[in-house]
Amino acid sequence: MIEIKDFTFTYRESTEPVVKDVNLSIPDGAFVGITGAAGSGKSTLTYAMNGIIPHCYPGDFFGSVTVDGLDTCDTQLTDLSLVVGSVCQDIDSQFVASIVEDEMLYGMENFGVPHKHIEERLTRALDDMGIGDLRDRPIDSLSGGQKQKLAIASILALNPKVLMLDEPTAELDPASSVGVFELLTRYAREHGTTVVVVEQKIALLSHYADMLVIVDEGRIRFSDTPTAVLSHSDELLEIGVNCPRATTLMNRLAADGIYGGPVCRNVEEACRALAEVIA
Amino acid sequence: MKGFLEYVPGDSLLHRLNPVVKLIGAILFAVACFCTSNLVFLACMLALALAMSASCGMLRATTGLMKAVFVFSLLLAIIQILFTPSGNVLVQLPWGYIGTGSLLAALTTVIRLEAAAIPLFLTFYVTKISDMTNAAVKVLHVPYKYAFTFSSTVHFIPVFLNDMSNIMEAQTARGVEFDQGSILKKIGLMVPLCVPLLVSSVRKTNSAAIAAEVRGFNLRTRESGYKQYPFAARDFLALGLVVALLVCAICLSVLL
Repeated sequence: MIEIKDFTFTYRESTEPVVKDVNLSIPDGAFVGITGAAGSGKSTLTYAMNGIIPHCYPGDFFGSVTVDGLDTCDTQLTDLSLVVGSVCQDIDSQFVASIVEDEMLYGMENFGVPHKHIEERLTRALDDMGIGDLRDRPIDSLSGGQKQKLAIASILALNPKVLMLDEPTAELDPASSVGVFELLTRYAREHGTTVVVVEQKIALLSHYADMLVIVDEGRIRFSDTPTAVLSHSDELLEIGVNCPRATTLMNRLAADGIYGGPVCRNVEEACRALAEVIA
Repeated sequence: MKGFLEYVPGDSLLHRLNPVVKLIGAILFAVACFCTSNLVFLACMLALALAMSASCGMLRATTGLMKAVFVFSLLLAIIQILFTPSGNVLVQLPWGYIGTGSLLAALTTVIRLEAAAIPLFLTFYVTKISDMTNAAVKVLHVPYKYAFTFSSTVHFIPVFLNDMSNIMEAQTARGVEFDQGSILKKIGLMVPLCVPLLVSSVRKTNSAAIAAEVRGFNLRTRESGYKQYPFAARDFLALGLVVALLVCAICLSVLL
């Protein structure tokens, strides 16, 4: 679905490239988590995939990025947006309307969704995100989690093949963060949508994603299944990525030869593995 | 400043009027107020404006607005009192005099501004901005770019006001005395804050522009809008009423 080849990008106002020699292939229908320390180039990587780079942020672009067969440099941003739906980091400035329903309509109206399908798509997208009852509410009156779900729903209504989210749980409490990820994975499974999420909460990513990409100083350090990536917990710590504590603990036990099973992604898995070791 | 110029949901007659009618109506109403200096007519217009705001339950917000307009119009009124000598002499000044005419003119200014401002502000409180712009695009054939510029501006006013008060609160927490001293001192303290506000505004506007673009802003045409805004009998009646008011105002100024 997304192919990035030898991609290097330098913003016009800086001299150092933010992203260097990136090669990444994201298969159709994958749920990909991208993480890394602050300023490592995660967001820049997503901008490259949804076409905001090079169309909105000028700079030196080397290599190639293709999404669903479209080269992002040769395709207009609007055409790319039909394939890649993006939810920005700052969702408050993403909103164009003051009422939930109008916000949902905006994208569909622009992309010329036939008027007879609009109602159905609108209700479905709201229900998919579990906020069907908020349709007539002013956006100001929504909680952070509800706003985030609305921002995602307004993109889902456009039926994108790829859904790209930049820190969707940055301002959410742990329970709502899990809620957003639950809804996202369920939606992606049902519709075969490819999902790319930039996220700081690695525990969430390792639980929900099929593929984990670790970015460090503009380069991709690891891109593999979460279990494979998490087995490098010491190296991850060095580049400022904190593994879930249960993972770090079990990896230490493995290094000491006490535990020999697979990498544990969360407390439950670690408990089970420990119980087996003790037994 | 939360809620300033923001839509308040409701089901009054004003809420149900066609957005275009509300906008044009409010503008014509304001024009009518400026067409005549007849004090009785202007007082009637003010009463009508207040009745409208009462009809949609917005009297509280209107009182707040009236206070703000009053302060502004008072400045103009004072200038008028001091510098437009007319009527019977009341107080002799070194450069002229304050007359009964000056007082009347000042009163007219205050009432005129109040009456003209209320319906304009009311329009924003009883109309969703999106309805206003969509209807303007659909019915008045306004190019979408201009309509969007307008709606974003209105959309961002509360956002920026919020940002400003956040910055000020943060500064107050660090010992800047925004909470005491004269208004001049406060303004002096606010000036340096314009830089961070400007920076954050530009950043927000930029990401808003990108967000709009990736949602197909450039593809939008007049036919894109999903909602329809047909004219009902009440819309024609309302429009007839404001036109009649405007004609009255013009007649009064020509005849009297």
